[in-house]
Amino acid sequence: MGKAIINKKINDTFLRRALKNFAAAYPVARAKAFEGIDFEALRGRISDFKQAGLKGLPELVSRFKTQAEQTGAKVYVCSSPEEANRTILEIIRSKGADFLVKSKAMTSEEIELNPYLEKNGIRCLETDLGEWIIQLAGERPSHMVMPAIHKNKEEVAELFSKETGHDCPPDIPFLVRTAREALRGGFLTGQVGLSGANVAMADSGAIGIITNEGNGRLVTTLPDTHIALIGVEKIVPSLKEALDVIEVLPKNATGQKITSYVSFIKGPTGAGRELHIVLLDNGRLKLAADPDFSEALKCVKCGACANVCPIYEIVGGHVFGHIYVGGIGLVLTPFFHGFDKAEEILKLCIGCKKCNEACASKIDIEGLIVDLRDRIRKPMGQKFLFGTMMKNRKLFHAALRTAYLAQKPFQGEGGRIRHLPLILNRETANRSLPPIAEKPFRDLVAERPATSDQRPATREKVLFYTGCLADFVYPEMCRDAKESLEKLGYEVVFPQEQTCCGIPARYSGEMDVARDMARINTDVLLAQEADYVATICPTCTMSLKHDFQKLLEGDDVYREKSLRLAAKVFNYSELAARKIGFGSAQPTARSLSGVEGNVVTYHDACHLKRGCGVYEEPRKVLRELAGVEIAEMTDCDKCCGFGGSYSIKYPEISQEVLKNKMENIKATGVSTVAVDCPGCKLQIEGGLEAAGTGITVEHSATLVARKLRQ
Amino acid sequence: MIDLFQESAEAVGTVVKRFVSTADAVSYVKGLAGDASPSASYLPPEIAGAFAGTVFAAPAELADTRLCISFAQAGIARTGSLLLELANPEQRSATALPLIHAVFLRGSSIVSDLYALGEILTRGLTSAKTAYLSITTGPSRTADIERVLTIGVHGPKELHVLVLEGE
Repeated sequence: MGKAIINKKINDTFLRRALKNFAAAYPVARAKAFEGIDFEALRGRISDFKQAGLKGLPELVSRFKTQAEQTGAKVYVCSSPEEANRTILEIIRSKGADFLVKSKAMTSEEIELNPYLEKNGIRCLETDLGEWIIQLAGERPSHMVMPAIHKNKEEVAELFSKETGHDCPPDIPFLVRTAREALRGGFLTGQVGLSGANVAMADSGAIGIITNEGNGRLVTTLPDTHIALIGVEKIVPSLKEALDVIEVLPKNATGQKITSYVSFIKGPTGAGRELHIVLLDNGRLKLAADPDFSEALKCVKCGACANVCPIYEIVGGHVFGHIYVGGIGLVLTPFFHGFDKAEEILKLCIGCKKCNEACASKIDIEGLIVDLRDRIRKPMGQKFLFGTMMKNRKLFHAALRTAYLAQKPFQGEGGRIRHLPLILNRETANRSLPPIAEKPFRDLVAERPATSDQRPATREKVLFYTGCLADFVYPEMCRDAKESLEKLGYEVVFPQEQTCCGIPARYSGEMDVARDMARINTDVLLAQEADYVATICPTCTMSLKHDFQKLLEGDDVYREKSLRLAAKVFNYSELAARKIGFGSAQPTARSLSGVEGNVVTYHDACHLKRGCGVYEEPRKVLRELAGVEIAEMTDCDKCCGFGGSYSIKYPEISQEVLKNKMENIKATGVSTVAVDCPGCKLQIEGGLEAAGTGITVEHSATLVARKLRQ
Repeated sequence: MIDLFQESAEAVGTVVKRFVSTADAVSYVKGLAGDASPSASYLPPEIAGAFAGTVFAAPAELADTRLCISFAQAGIARTGSLLLELANPEQRSATALPLIHAVFLRGSSIVSDLYALGEILTRGLTSAKTAYLSITTGPSRTADIERVLTIGVHGPKELHVLVLEGE
C-alpha cells in the first residue's frame, strides 16, 4: 500500500474524527441492540446454514431460479461482471429506457455498473443518500453500510450546491431535505429501478431487502421494471434462515434493532410489471467449492469487521479494502477482483482478531487473511530470512547476538534505543526501544541450570517456552516467570533447543517455513515428559496451541503430535491462576488492596484474549497473586498497534493505534500497566516513555515475582 | 404486549395512539389530514366504512398527498414494527410517498418478535400469488451525513400507529 495515501488518510482530521467517534459509539449501540439476544447462538446458526448452503451452492441457485421463475420473474445467472453488465443493459434497452434509478447495491459497485451503463447512454441515479453523495463526488464507498462516512457536511454541501444549482448551507437537516426534493423527480421518472438484496429464499423465490431511507421501496415500486442484482451467496433455503440474517444484520451493521424497512418481494407485483433477477457469480461458485477459503462467502455484508477494526479506524475504507472494505473486503477482493488488487491490502491487517469476534457469520476473517498471504508475491529477501535463517536456530540466534553488538552505538540513557540511523529512524520516531540483551535468558539459564529447592517427585513439571522476544530482549521477564512459577509449586525446565514459533513466517505468507518451525518445536517440547508447556508470549501460546495443529493437520506423523502438544500448552497466567488458594506458600495479597501504587490497568493482548480465549485468569492472577487492584481502561482488549513486524512495515499506522491505547491508559490515572505479552510491553512502554508519561509497563509475571519476593 | 410495542415503537420515533373505539381512531386520523385529501392504501371494510364521506386522493395525486392511511396485518412488540401486505403497487406507493403515514393496527395482532411473525410471512411467501411484504419500523431515516440521525429522507417523516384495543 502506498505510503502517500496512508499518510494522507492519517492526516485527514475529519476522517479520523468521524471514524474515531464511530468506533466509540458503535460497540455501545451494538450491545444495546443485542440485549436479550444470544449472539453466539444466532451467529452459530447463520454460520452453519451458510456453510451448508455453500456446499450445495449450484443446487441452491437452481432451486431459487426455478421458484423465482414460477412467480413470473426472469432469472439470469451471470458468471462475470461483463456478462452481468451486458444483461442489465439489455433489459434496460428492451424497455426502450435510458434512465435507471438505483437503491444501494454493493454488487453494482463490484461490477462497476454505473460507468458501463453511462458509457452506453444510460443515465444512472443513486438514490441512497450516501451513494448519491459519492456518485456526485466520483468516488467509491469507504464503508459497506455507510458509503460516505468519509465525507463531511461541508463537502456534501458543496456537492449538492453544484448539483442543484442552489446554494446549500452545511446544515445536515437541510442537506437531507435537499436530497429528498432533488431525488423525488428521479423516482417518479425513472423507467427502470435497480436494487440489490440482502437475502434470497430458494423455497419461495422471494428476495429480502433491508433499508432505512425508504428509497429501496420507491425504486422497487414506482418504475414498472425492477432489476435485482444479487450475489449467489445470498441465497438461503427458506424464510427460516432469512429471518436469522434479518435479525443479525441491522444490529451488527449500525446497532439498530431493525431497520425502518424490511421488504420481501416475490415476483413482479401488478399487471404489466417485470422483475428481473440477475444472480452474480463472479468467482463465487468457484470460491464456494474452495476447501480453504469457502467460508468467506458466509459473509452477510454487515460491515462489522470494519466497524471494530483498529486499522480501519485509522485509515478508512479507501485504504483498508478495494471495493469491499474492512476485514472481509481484504479476503473477498482476490476472489472477486484478482490477486493483483489484493496484494497490498492483505498486508494491512495487524492480526488482532477483533473482526472475528464481531463477525455475524462467525468467519475466521483474520485466519483467512493470513492464509491468503501465502498466495501473494513475497518481498525480495524474505525467502532468505525465513527459508534459510529462521529454520536454522543457531544461525538465527547468532544473528540476534550480532545485533546486540550492532545496536550498541545507538543506546542512549538507560540503555534504551531512541534513534536509529537513516531509514530505520522513522520507526523509532515516537517511541523508545529496549535493546537486545547482552545475555539472553537461554544463556542465563545455562549458567544456573538447577534451582535450589527441587522436589521433582511432588511437583508438576513445566517446560518453559519463552518466545524469541522475551528470550533476547526481556531476559528478566523470563526469569520472573520461571522464578514465580517455581515458588507457586512447579518444577520449571527450559529446553535449550526451542526456537521461533514460526508466527513471523506464517504472517509473511511463508507457510512451508511455518510448518517446519512447528515440527521442530513440537519435537523439542515432546522430547521430555512434562505436565505443561508454559509460555509468556500470547502469540507463542496461540501458535503452539492452535496454529500448529492447523499447519500440521495434513502431516500424518505430526498431526497426532501437534494435538498432544496443544493439550499441554498454557499461558503463564493460566498456570499461575491454578495455584491460587493452594499450598502454604500462598501470599495474602489482597491485604494490600487499595494502597497507593497498587492499582494497575490491564491491557488484554489480542492473541491472549481472542487467540486463546484467556482474559479472566490474568485479572485473577494480578489481584490474588500480585496483590494489585485493577482500574479497567476503555477498550482494554483493543490492539496496541504492535503486531510484530507490522510496527516496522507500517510504523505510521502502528503509532496511531498506539496513541489511542495511550489515551485510554492515561485516562485511568494509574502509574503501571500490566500486560501478559512482551510485544505489547515493547510497544506500549516505548510510547509511554517517549511521551514522558512516567507510566511503566510490566508483565504479570514480573508483578507476581516481585510480590512473592516480599 | 401492546405496552411493549408502544415502548419499542416510540423509541424509534413512531407516534403510538391507543383507541378503544375505531370511530375515535378515525377522527384522530382525520385531524392529521386537516383539509387536504389523504390517500388510502388497503383498509379492511370495517375501517374503510368508518371513513365514509372522506374523499381519498387519486393514484395520480399520490406524490403530492400529505397523509396516507393504511392497515397493518400484524405488529412486532420487541421492535415496534408493522407488517404491511402491499402487493398492489398503488397501495404500496401510497405508503411510500407522503410525508405522514398513519397505520391502523389491531392490538390482538401484535406478536412478540420477528420470529413469531414467521408463520404469517411464510403464508404470504408460499402462496401461489406474487407478494410484497413490508415490515415498517419508525419513520424513514438516514445517518449518511456525518452519522447524524435525520428523520424523513425518502419515505414518510412521521409514522402514526393507531392501535385498536377494543375487539
